[in-house]
Amino acid sequence: MHAQRKMRKPDIKMVILGDMNVGKTSLLHRYTERSFKDTLSTVGGAFFLKQWGPYNISIWDTAGREQFHGLGSMYCRGAAAVILTYDVTSWQSLVQLEERFLSLTDSANGDCIFAIVGNKADLTDACARDVAPKAVRLEEGDESDHLECPTPPHTPTVHKQVMREDALALYNRIIHSKVLEKRTSPPAEDVCFETSAKTGYNVDTLFETLFELLLPSIICTQTQVESPTVCLEDYEEMKKKKPVCCT
Amino acid sequence: MSVKAFELVPAVEWEQLTAEKARAAVECIECCGEHLYVCTSDCVLHHFLLEARTTAKGRHTYRTQKLLQKVLNSKKPAAELKAASALDRLVVLCDAAISLVDMLTLEAVPSGGAKLRGVTAFSVNENPVTGDAFCVEMAVVSARRRAVHICTVHEDRVQVLKEVVTPEQPCALAMDGYFLCLALPMQYMILNYSTGVSQDLFPYNSQERKPIVKRIGREEFLLAAPGGLGMFANAEGISQRAPVSWSEGVLAAAVCFPYVVALDEGFVTVHSMLDQQLKQTLSFREGHVLQDFEGKVLLASTKAVFVLVPLPLETQIQDLLASRRVEEALVLTEGAQRNIPKDKFQMLHKRILQQAGFIQFGQLQFSEAKEHFRRGQLDVRELISLYPLLLPASSSFTRCQPPLHEFADLSQLAQGDPEKVERCKHFLIGYLREARAGEAANGFREDVDTALLKLYAEAGHDSLLDLLASENACLLADSAPWLEKHHRYFALGILYHYNGQDAVALQLWVRVVNGDLCDPTCTNLFQYIVDFLSRCPNLDLVWKYADWALQKDQKIGVQIFTKRPISKELLNADDVITYLQKHHRALLLYLEHLVLERKVQREKYHTHLAVLYADQVLGLLSRPADTREHLASARTKLQHLLRESSLYRVQLLLGKLQDSELLLVERAILHGKLDEHDTALHILVHQLRDTTAAEDYCTWASAARGHAHRRRLYHHLLGRYLDPDMPGGPRAVEAVDLLNRHSEVFDAVQVLKLLPEAWSLGLLHPFLCGALRASVHACRTTQVALGLARAENLQLHRDRLKYRGGPILMSEKKGCHLCHNTFRDPECMCLPGGTPVHTHCAAQKLQDTPIKRRLDRTHTSNHT
Repeated sequence: MHAQRKMRKPDIKMVILGDMNVGKTSLLHRYTERSFKDTLSTVGGAFFLKQWGPYNISIWDTAGREQFHGLGSMYCRGAAAVILTYDVTSWQSLVQLEERFLSLTDSANGDCIFAIVGNKADLTDACARDVAPKAVRLEEGDESDHLECPTPPHTPTVHKQVMREDALALYNRIIHSKVLEKRTSPPAEDVCFETSAKTGYNVDTLFETLFELLLPSIICTQTQVESPTVCLEDYEEMKKKKPVCCT
Repeated sequence: MSVKAFELVPAVEWEQLTAEKARAAVECIECCGEHLYVCTSDCVLHHFLLEARTTAKGRHTYRTQKLLQKVLNSKKPAAELKAASALDRLVVLCDAAISLVDMLTLEAVPSGGAKLRGVTAFSVNENPVTGDAFCVEMAVVSARRRAVHICTVHEDRVQVLKEVVTPEQPCALAMDGYFLCLALPMQYMILNYSTGVSQDLFPYNSQERKPIVKRIGREEFLLAAPGGLGMFANAEGISQRAPVSWSEGVLAAAVCFPYVVALDEGFVTVHSMLDQQLKQTLSFREGHVLQDFEGKVLLASTKAVFVLVPLPLETQIQDLLASRRVEEALVLTEGAQRNIPKDKFQMLHKRILQQAGFIQFGQLQFSEAKEHFRRGQLDVRELISLYPLLLPASSSFTRCQPPLHEFADLSQLAQGDPEKVERCKHFLIGYLREARAGEAANGFREDVDTALLKLYAEAGHDSLLDLLASENACLLADSAPWLEKHHRYFALGILYHYNGQDAVALQLWVRVVNGDLCDPTCTNLFQYIVDFLSRCPNLDLVWKYADWALQKDQKIGVQIFTKRPISKELLNADDVITYLQKHHRALLLYLEHLVLERKVQREKYHTHLAVLYADQVLGLLSRPADTREHLASARTKLQHLLRESSLYRVQLLLGKLQDSELLLVERAILHGKLDEHDTALHILVHQLRDTTAAEDYCTWASAARGHAHRRRLYHHLLGRYLDPDMPGGPRAVEAVDLLNRHSEVFDAVQVLKLLPEAWSLGLLHPFLCGALRASVHACRTTQVALGLARAENLQLHRDRLKYRGGPILMSEKKGCHLCHNTFRDPECMCLPGGTPVHTHCAAQKLQDTPIKRRLDRTHTSNHT
């Protein structure tokens, strides 16, 4: 992280929510530092300022522990995007999203964008194990496969408990419950991801997709905040209206 | 790792607070400037004067002087004290009631206005909204009502302005402007008492743990959160900083920018607000009160009062840098920006950036180092001075004091690893190049350029020559030994030249070309020297080295003279020619340059060149036949010169070539130059027997002389062909060909007279056709011209008549315009415009005109 960047004011805010131990901090770490390391349980929360083109995007990493649950709505206040994270090997973690975390997002912006992310995909899907899996697999023979990976690629080590369809369904329920307009919210297929912070699978896609979706609101907030120019046309319109009001 | 951010300094000792017998504990404290108020559990209010001292060693101490103590008029000790210095009043919350006490006498002030009873907590607004300097705004929580009272404290009274209803009974609060930050039993909330808008922050069980609500700045609060967190929240209920992690049993917190200090049962912890990291932990038992008063953090146990003195920012930063925590040091520096004056901050920031750069440089993190050097506007010489011997001996540079880094030189930094040294040098090359391009090198270009030159020379870098060839400030005295050491003699020569010492430069280069010295970087040095001499304005040098160059290679050597710019030529061509007599080949090239390229129009050069060519041809002729090609090219050159030039002395050359039986074309040309066309054609037709050459000769010789001359030459040639006296008789075939091909040149009538009667018409058909057509054409065009001339004449005639006007009527009654007498006879003259006058009048007038008069005068003056 660069020292100077910390000082700048963020243009827009993103929050990562989810049950403890689903890999929120690892996701953010993978995206910002391009590496995976064992993280400690997050205390309270942390945030990272990402410079994306000319814009500063603050990404808040929250604590998943029940103890800090109360702080969640504060982190969500003013957020333009919420990343709801679950663990693909834990059905409970998906249930928790709806039961515990969804209510926190009430304090987020009205036009907030939701994303549903199933992390730890490397444990269940072979394709998430390598970042460029297919090309390598085809070239290698069956024998070398056995030699190089002790675990066969197509038998998952852990049973996958949450399918992508479940995540899509959750997303649609969220949109429905928030009474968000289906037309303005992005379609479920675009904002439901299965990622792996360990291998980096889909992580960049997740963040970059969200930034792209956020771009209109970034521009909107920027013009709201800093508009040094005075619109003369608006002024004239007001002038014309005035006498009508008086009479 | 930790930073030493604060130092714990005792302020008030146990002995100063209690009489021998009583065992009183500190209940609450207040500090305002140098005034320290302490209320102990025996209901005594103490007033101390707190004077900061600095010992000789730079340590902070406090000298405390007790001014007064007074027993409060109450059974319970004060729970909270707050000074209102503008009013000289101390607001005391004692036994659930607020009272005012004089700050100096500690006497209770009878207060008018509202009585505030049942008060559990109050908070002074440090960002007041009333704008009255002589009152203090306060928010008061009363025990019996679910409400907060907003009131103002004046010198002698307390006035309640507003009652703000809260959902529940608050237990702690802080205030900023219109915002109240309240700790309710189960949650925190923010309430705008002007608009009534409220914002829930987060749940917190105030019964379980004592809530902490602290204003830390404009519209920003610090709150104790579940799990021992310190949460930040602004007035909109948004957290703009990540939380700090305290222990579960946190008792109190204070802010001393950029640190958050927290107190728990055994420790004082210090977190940075900039990166949320724990920076320092101080062991402190029986901690009781921790509060910040206008930037001063005071800490009290039950027995004594301490001051947490922040170490100077620079010390903290230097500590961080010493432990190589560059990022943290920079964060701390930049975080302190608003607390220090701008110019001072800039100085500090620059220095820290430079130091940070050097630390990263030492770790070979070059891109980060470069960025920090750039932002810190580092004096480039600081960096150069790390590299031994790079700075010129004459440089006035001394390293910055105190030093920016701990390295003596590069070898210490690299610990003798040659690869590291190499990488550092590579970095410096890049850095200096950028410095040269920008403004960073202003004021010490000499040092920078010399250092760069040395680095290039050492690394065998190609850019060395670019550096020297462009504008530079390399110091000769310092660079020369260095370049010699690295055998960059060519570059050294360029440097000498740049410093105006061409003689030294040439001497050096000549030694390289001769093989005395070796410079592997330069290949075609001889050509370079020649080019250099050809541009050299110093003629002494040119003459000095011309001999050497010509001896080495005449063809290239002569370029010293031929390539010189014509516009500012200092050399006299005659001198050069005299000088080149020894070098035959060079002389020829030089003359060719003069005559053919520069087209100097002097007979001397032309003759000289022609003679040289002729000699060459004659020389080749006398030698065996294997030089045929050479001969051909030499003859072509000679013929070309003889034809094109008209300045050489023809007789001289003719004399030279007269004897040669082979050089007929040349002789013909020479005769042609003398206008001896008969002789020339004779040679060509009868000796050389080359009709094409003869025709070419005619074309060439008449090229600039017009049609008539050309016709004469062709007739000459025809005459030659038809001459019956010649050996072998007349040459009919050639004559016919000539006539048929060039019919337009000949005068057909003369030709027909010349031609023998026996020739058939068919033979001359093309010629005759041509001649006839030409004749008819001439006749017709002449007629057309005649007709046109006639028409023009007629036209002019008509115009003349038109301008003369109609007939002039004369009568005896008509008067002359000049003498005004009437006409006697019909003779008259007309003035322009047709006015009739007397003949004599007109003659008179003509005599009187100015031109006439002037002419007369000159006549007379000539005579006298």
